[in-house]
Amino acid sequence: MSRRERILTRLRSTPALPTPAIRVVQLIQDPQVDMRELTEAVRYDPSLTATVLRLANSPYFGTARSIDTVQEAVMRLGTNRLFRVLMASAVAPLAPLAVKGYDLEPGGLLEHAVAVAVAAERLAVSVGRRPPNYTFTAALLHDIGKIAMGSYVQIDAKPILDLAFRQNLPFEAAEREVLGIDHAEAGAVLLESWNLPPRLVEAVRCHHEPDKAEPDTLAVDLVHAADSLCLLAGIGSGVDGTHYRPAAAVLSRLRLGTKLGEMVVCEVATSLKDLTDLLTVGIGDELKCH
Amino acid sequence: MTHTVGISNMQTTDRPNDVLVTYSLGSCIGLTLFDPVAGVGGMLHCMLPLSKIDKAKADHNPYMFTDTGVPAMLQAAFDMGAERRRLIAKVAGAASLLDEKGLFRIGERNYTVLRKILWKNNILIAAEDVGGTVARTMYLYMRTGQTVIRSCGKETEL
Repeated sequence: MSRRERILTRLRSTPALPTPAIRVVQLIQDPQVDMRELTEAVRYDPSLTATVLRLANSPYFGTARSIDTVQEAVMRLGTNRLFRVLMASAVAPLAPLAVKGYDLEPGGLLEHAVAVAVAAERLAVSVGRRPPNYTFTAALLHDIGKIAMGSYVQIDAKPILDLAFRQNLPFEAAEREVLGIDHAEAGAVLLESWNLPPRLVEAVRCHHEPDKAEPDTLAVDLVHAADSLCLLAGIGSGVDGTHYRPAAAVLSRLRLGTKLGEMVVCEVATSLKDLTDLLTVGIGDELKCH
Repeated sequence: MTHTVGISNMQTTDRPNDVLVTYSLGSCIGLTLFDPVAGVGGMLHCMLPLSKIDKAKADHNPYMFTDTGVPAMLQAAFDMGAERRRLIAKVAGAASLLDEKGLFRIGERNYTVLRKILWKNNILIAAEDVGGTVARTMYLYMRTGQTVIRSCGKETEL
């Protein structure tokens, strides 16, 4: 079996990745829980979002159409089922908090994911476009392949970086050369195996190469552009740094230049602290143990 | 004690046991100042070149922008007893995306604004590690005044 095939087999048998969901658990314990507040808390956690969507789209619930937002999933699952799903995710073994191989600080991937999700929505509003409702989810999950690859494959970033710098290849192209697969496709394979909607999967698969997306949608453009901006701003960057090539066609379609880029970065950085604080309430002590 | 300087933040100290660190500098500017006589040091992590993009945010937090962050940092260092002629300034960051070809130019403009402000204040840059497509982590060790950069898994002293 080639390295690529081995990685694919491993990815397809990966259960949904758990992260501490203390905030959600705290909310659930309150009998007077506000469903809107709960939905918001889930919406900003990539792993919980993935779990909830995976379950809502599972054959068990006999979906007639695909569900790609947390709000719909919450309605479909119903309160009781949702609570069980969330509790299970919360108590499941913790995913590695620092993403191995990619040299991400604990919490770095979450911070980056939230930043890209917020930036994608802000960007859409700034250019006067209405973002498709799965844009937020796709942005939040775009790098989930890094968690999977970091956890299940021994990633040694050195040969990847050496190749990328030597041949002036973007990081994901060097990943493909060395590993047979890049983190974007790995994320897509993972989400596909959880039966998430194809257009969401496509936005994750093509987040570094939006020109290859079939079909190319506004969501693909938004996730790519938002990711480029957040990488530049260094929000949750890892060993791959800013070694990615922005797609000029996407930036021109969105009329995204220096001024708009800076305004979006500015707004995202301002709201990011509140958002990550909301998501990490109560997990500070656990983070310190690692 | 180790203090983490977040994005759009600044910290000064005169404690020899302190280590200041800032993570994942992309196009942002990381600036360390150290006065070996006064034993005063500081670290700044500012994000965007010019505060005119959002004056209200700059009033609220000058450290978000290079043009307001650097003067505010200098003042904080002077207030702790640092002297201009003794200050050792070291810089990291100002990265860009691969083949960006002037699309955003955030890093490049951050660096230009920084140089201009330091020049106006008669402060020379003693060492720097800027540009390219790498994320950098920057440390300032107060005991020795050393500034260390970690990128691509390697540590080097500036």
